[in-house]
Amino acid sequence: MLTIELEGRKIKVPEGLTVIEALWDTGHDVKRGIGCLSGLCGACTVAYLESGAQRVKFGLGCQTVVAEGMHVIMLPYFPSRMAVYDMESMTNPLQEVANHYPELASCNDCKACNICPEWIDVAGFVKAAKDGAYEVTAEKVMDCHMCGLCASRCAKSIAPHYVGLYIQRSCSRQRSLPPNLARRLQQMELLAKDPEFAQVPTLSADEIEVYCYTILGI
Amino acid sequence: MYPAELIAPIELVVSTRECRKAETWPRLGDAERNQLLKTYHPDYKEAAFRNLRVGSNKGDRVTHEFADLLESYSDLDHARIKLQPEYRTDVLVLGGGGAGVSAALFAESLGARVLLATKLRLGNSNTIMALGGMQASVADGDSPIKHFADTMIAGNFAGKPSLVKALVEDGPGIVKWLLDIGVNFDRDDDGNLTTKNAGGLSSPRILSIGDHTGLNIMKVLKDELRKSGRIELSEFTPAVELTTDANGVCNGAILYDIGRRRHLVVQAKAVILATGGSGRLHNQGFPTSNNFGATGDAVVLAYRAGARIEGLDSFQYHPTGVMFPEHMVGVLVTEAIRSLGAHLVNGKGERFVNELDTRDLVAAAIIREIEQGRGVRTPAGKLGVWLDIPVLDELLENGLLKKRFPSLFKKFMRVKIDITKRPLLIYPTLHYQNGGILIDEQGESTVPNLFVAGEAAGGIHGRNRSMGNSLLDIFVFGRRAGLAAAERRSAEARPLSLDHLTRYYDSLKMLRISSVAKSPTLFPEFIVDKL
Repeated sequence: MLTIELEGRKIKVPEGLTVIEALWDTGHDVKRGIGCLSGLCGACTVAYLESGAQRVKFGLGCQTVVAEGMHVIMLPYFPSRMAVYDMESMTNPLQEVANHYPELASCNDCKACNICPEWIDVAGFVKAAKDGAYEVTAEKVMDCHMCGLCASRCAKSIAPHYVGLYIQRSCSRQRSLPPNLARRLQQMELLAKDPEFAQVPTLSADEIEVYCYTILGI
Repeated sequence: MYPAELIAPIELVVSTRECRKAETWPRLGDAERNQLLKTYHPDYKEAAFRNLRVGSNKGDRVTHEFADLLESYSDLDHARIKLQPEYRTDVLVLGGGGAGVSAALFAESLGARVLLATKLRLGNSNTIMALGGMQASVADGDSPIKHFADTMIAGNFAGKPSLVKALVEDGPGIVKWLLDIGVNFDRDDDGNLTTKNAGGLSSPRILSIGDHTGLNIMKVLKDELRKSGRIELSEFTPAVELTTDANGVCNGAILYDIGRRRHLVVQAKAVILATGGSGRLHNQGFPTSNNFGATGDAVVLAYRAGARIEGLDSFQYHPTGVMFPEHMVGVLVTEAIRSLGAHLVNGKGERFVNELDTRDLVAAAIIREIEQGRGVRTPAGKLGVWLDIPVLDELLENGLLKKRFPSLFKKFMRVKIDITKRPLLIYPTLHYQNGGILIDEQGESTVPNLFVAGEAAGGIHGRNRSMGNSLLDIFVFGRRAGLAAAERRSAEARPLSLDHLTRYYDSLKMLRISSVAKSPTLFPEFIVDKL
């Protein structure tokens, strides 16, 4: 058994448990801080100080295994400002980054936000955003699950995850319709007039099998 | 890090690596397939199922886990709840994953007032964990008709043709909608959507977004939900019962506020159930890949309201769920790694199946190895077989494996296992509920004004869901249900009742059933068994 400090309370737990399991094991009725239990959704963010350490670390409660003397709390979410915008009605959203997130300009590259549990170079993509290198930012935030830990560290109250999401959406929105999709959408009109396919819901079970195998040439 | 007792078993795997590379394993013929499935696949374990004694599907086969919930009284004392609505809305959406959010967005687009109630946070769902991708027939050599044929065949022709037709016809339009709201599907240098191949597809058809398709779509949908300000969101308030009017038409729900520990009653012109799958019921004790809230709540609520279910005795078990370390049990290792040539190896260092055979067959083969004593024991006492990734030495050259599978590599480095050097312990994991509440093409169940979308719905995937069709069906039927539900808003509001429940409980009484259960389950009970 180990002794850890969980949400401010010294408590004994068996070895090898994650923070979430330690909370369950000690009778905490955890609901807010639980999601996928696979390290993919950002619901269970935690802050912890290892025994003898000076720097506080951040991670996911479902993936962080407790150690002797660890002092850990859950950080359910962080109240950052989210800009509101209607992406579907915008033709050039990248031009409006500064309108929606003016605080981006005040970033001084202190790198305090580089505590991402998915090892994303947050300071790097914020700098890229500030410099207008939007494709770089969009690429880097693909693994982001919006846990908000980075936002909780920023002295300028920049929310990197929201800025990153706006840029990710904008870059994609500004691309033209993919040629293969455009062709398919045009062909959908013809498909609606295909008499064989239209009749499919009326076919018997045997007829459906024959139809499917014929389509695939089997 | 692997403990001392697994070092010798790992050396055995290493020692057989060279000879295994030269082996070819043929895919099984029909007779052998059926034999293997019937003997070892969980869907065929007769003792794990029973026939329902009550309700619209009386006599049909379901898992004990579901039957226990359906053949019992809820532990909620309904008599104590006053059915005076605290909230009135046009469309009540229950569930905040891909299907629920799509339904809410489309219902609102027609001007309906929407209340979206979730059990946990908005977005907590199986959607965000979808790695592989979404099927859509956009490639030039492809067509929605081929997509139809592939899907019907994969489901063993048990899927409803009208639903599968709707699924494949809506595909390209759904892709356009997602692109319009800024979803960043992968494209090639010419700007075309990249399409990947997968087992059972006659044409490459899987669209993806890097390693994390579902996550990147859900992020955009959650952001989009905030746009209009007309969709009300209520988190941490799962539904514990539906309400109906005197004619059995669904007209609301009783929600339970977890934080404030009280019930709230919502009146709606239409209700959309989008609460996802049921992996956390852990059929037959299987580990699951599903999120914490996947307890099959929709099935329980809808069944008690009189809805028909379809195919609730068929589940998809993904062959490669992690078995070590303990806190990662059930998490998926992507099929793509087997597509590239990774081997499945038993406790004697031997291969035992063609790794690229269908999921149900590979899962059955792994279970056979374990049951015949050729498994490997984890320190926690669980059994698994090895997934030998280091055998892909072409991929290991120049760090190619790390580049192709960065998330997988990092996930295991976090626990000090280097997948370029060590094999992984795996076992089939309960992944997807193939059946559910039967719907029509508009997403309506057999209970009027009760719609269902997403994994909770049944009748689409037959006996086996094709990879990438789930990410498509949540948006196709989420949209259809949202639009159809919004059309009901001009109907007259009628008083809420629990008459359907009284009728249901009467049928339990007639069978002398007296068991009470936490039904719907809401949250799985966890016993941490490391003590």
